[in-house]
Amino acid sequence: MINGKWYAKGSSAQSDASLDITGDSFTLTVKERIKYTALLHTLNVSSRLGNVTRKIILEDGSVFSTQDNDAVDLAFKKQPQGKKIIHTLESKMSWVLVALIITLISGFSFFKWGIPWTSKKIAHALPHASNQLIASNTLDFFDKYIFDKSQISAEQMQKIRMHFHSQVAPLGASHDEIKYTLHFRLWKDANLSIPNAFALPSGDIILTDRFVQLCETQEEMDAVLLHEMGHIVHRHTLETVIESTFITVTVMMIAGDSNGLADMGVGLGSLLVSSSYSRGHEAEADRYAFEQMLLAKMDPIAFSNIMNRMSSYIQVPSVSKREQEKESQGDVLDYISSHPSTKQRVEIARQYSECFHKGLNSCEIIKPIHSTLDSKN
Amino acid sequence: MKALIFEGSGFEYFKIWIVNVLLTILTLGLYHPWAKVRNNRYFYANSTLEGRNFEYHATGKQLFIGYLIAMALFISYVIINQISPSGSLILIAVLFLAVPWLILRSMIFNMRMTSFSNVHFDFTGKLGRAYINFFAYPLALYIGLVLIGTAISIAIPLGGVAAVFLGVLLAAGMIAFLLFSFAFIKKKNTEYFIDHSRYGQGEFKTDVHIKKFMLITLKTLGFALLVTLIAAIIVGLGVYVTVGVDSIMALKGAEQNPELMAEKMRALMPIISLSYLGMIAASIFIMAYSMTQHRTYVYANTRLDDKVTFASTLKAVPLAWVLITNFIAIICTLGFAFPWARVRTARLMLENTLVNAQNGFDDYLTQKQNETSSLGEQIGDAFDVDVGVGF
Repeated sequence: MINGKWYAKGSSAQSDASLDITGDSFTLTVKERIKYTALLHTLNVSSRLGNVTRKIILEDGSVFSTQDNDAVDLAFKKQPQGKKIIHTLESKMSWVLVALIITLISGFSFFKWGIPWTSKKIAHALPHASNQLIASNTLDFFDKYIFDKSQISAEQMQKIRMHFHSQVAPLGASHDEIKYTLHFRLWKDANLSIPNAFALPSGDIILTDRFVQLCETQEEMDAVLLHEMGHIVHRHTLETVIESTFITVTVMMIAGDSNGLADMGVGLGSLLVSSSYSRGHEAEADRYAFEQMLLAKMDPIAFSNIMNRMSSYIQVPSVSKREQEKESQGDVLDYISSHPSTKQRVEIARQYSECFHKGLNSCEIIKPIHSTLDSKN
Repeated sequence: MKALIFEGSGFEYFKIWIVNVLLTILTLGLYHPWAKVRNNRYFYANSTLEGRNFEYHATGKQLFIGYLIAMALFISYVIINQISPSGSLILIAVLFLAVPWLILRSMIFNMRMTSFSNVHFDFTGKLGRAYINFFAYPLALYIGLVLIGTAISIAIPLGGVAAVFLGVLLAAGMIAFLLFSFAFIKKKNTEYFIDHSRYGQGEFKTDVHIKKFMLITLKTLGFALLVTLIAAIIVGLGVYVTVGVDSIMALKGAEQNPELMAEKMRALMPIISLSYLGMIAASIFIMAYSMTQHRTYVYANTRLDDKVTFASTLKAVPLAWVLITNFIAIICTLGFAFPWARVRTARLMLENTLVNAQNGFDDYLTQKQNETSSLGEQIGDAFDVDVGVGF
């Protein structure tokens, strides 16, 4: 006998009731009077959820509810209504542990490999026109708010462009849908001219005046140009758009039913994840530059030279605090930085340079690890 | 007066939650509506009053289509947001226009899907009223602020004692305007949500006043000042005791030397993170104070058919304590303490919700309701639109 309460259809009035089950039929007694006798399959039993009150709906819409979940499970064991796969998962400790472990592993793999891999596939499946779409207006926007007109002479610009189109751009000839264009701009922040180079997904590469001035050899400039071409060839901007979409949607699903406070932790987490993707993109663009340089018989050490010069130029006049903190080895802040640390990049360039001196066309890289670097330096 | 009881447990909910998370991951998100139903069913069914429980009636199937549409909208929003600044401005405008509709649809759906003691709730609010409350009033507030702001920026440069006097007067006017408008909107929203709520044939009714809401805002401001002051003193003492004033002064001298500066900054890192935590704790306290004050006031002035009255005994300190410890636990366990946190919050809330029903709950009857679409509720959920009185 299962004890519980009975409600008439749509009514809040509660009466004591009990359910007796014999074979495949039942008797429901309400206030000590037999009210229903019928076959079990006419009953609609709600699925079990923890130990919450169980609801059994009768054919006339009235409801019998009970706390005695185990008795209900037992009684309906052989009935089609009795299926309870989800509850089995939830109640068996071993299943919960399995779920916990699978969740941890798949959650980690999803962020570590799933999102970058899928984003890459999608980015490369899209037509080149999507690159042009996301790049449209970007340069206009920067021109309006950030850049000034370049002060480099037209003659020098012409020279750089000529060299780029005859010597550097052909290295990426396998992607002939991309048309590269060089732009020169002056970027000033608090009276300080900033050295940098950017690539837009459309194939536009922007060089700042200070960067052009800091390049001491042609190879240094070519190395950076190849790095920027690496971003374009690998469609990193498109990948970033897709990756952030994945992150935002996942975050919405995780944080959807939490409160504002937990959101802060989730926000920090997604910042860490997206910076880690960005570092991956930078490393990939570096690798592209190094490999093209080996093929074109240029010494990859040129990349490390210009990187060092740029970072020391930024550090000494103390432009931004973040830039300095970024350079300190093994710092926690490395994890939220969008670029790999200069030391790491320089170390990889050094290894490529060794390959170059051995006359190799390709190179096996031993990934530098923070701690070993620390002890070496 | 009897308090509601929460009968669930953190561990039991953890098991339900982890299975939900797992199935959601394995189905790449498609299981989400069913997970939501199991979550809601668990919390509703474990909330009881005098042996009667709440119930959540929506099914995964019912939510699914709405969920798919909401996800498609949300994904397009995220993508457009990233690639086109002008497109995202238009989207934000559309979203603002849609908010009143989303709130109304969510209220109707959620209320109809909820029952207590076998009788369903309902919501009878109208769309026109929703647009006045959630669109026209906030817009008027914004326009008012811009007008006063412009007046101040015109008055100040005029110079002279009269201009300064006028400026001060306008600034005071702006504060008074803000104080009044917030209280006014709060009153209107509370009335909209409560007065249109139904339990069976029973009607909820609230009687709240602008003056009282203004008073609560003022008290909260005073409380905020006090808490900020205390937090500042604690952090200040912390700095003094641990690193000393010298390090701070040395920081100024190191401005010219980036390496020294970086080193000094690193020494200060722990105390900086600690003061961040202090700031978070202080803001939680202030939020808890404001929320409990509003809750107590609104509950005390709400009734169901003049037969059932309500009261809230929730106090700021226990609420802030639960929220802060939840926050720390969730961060430290990378989110796995979330089920316990949620159960703790639910228990605290329910046990501080008092109900007095002189004639009991036996004579309510579910009223006839039309089929309800879950679309609005699902979109509101995806875009995190705040629905309801908030406590």
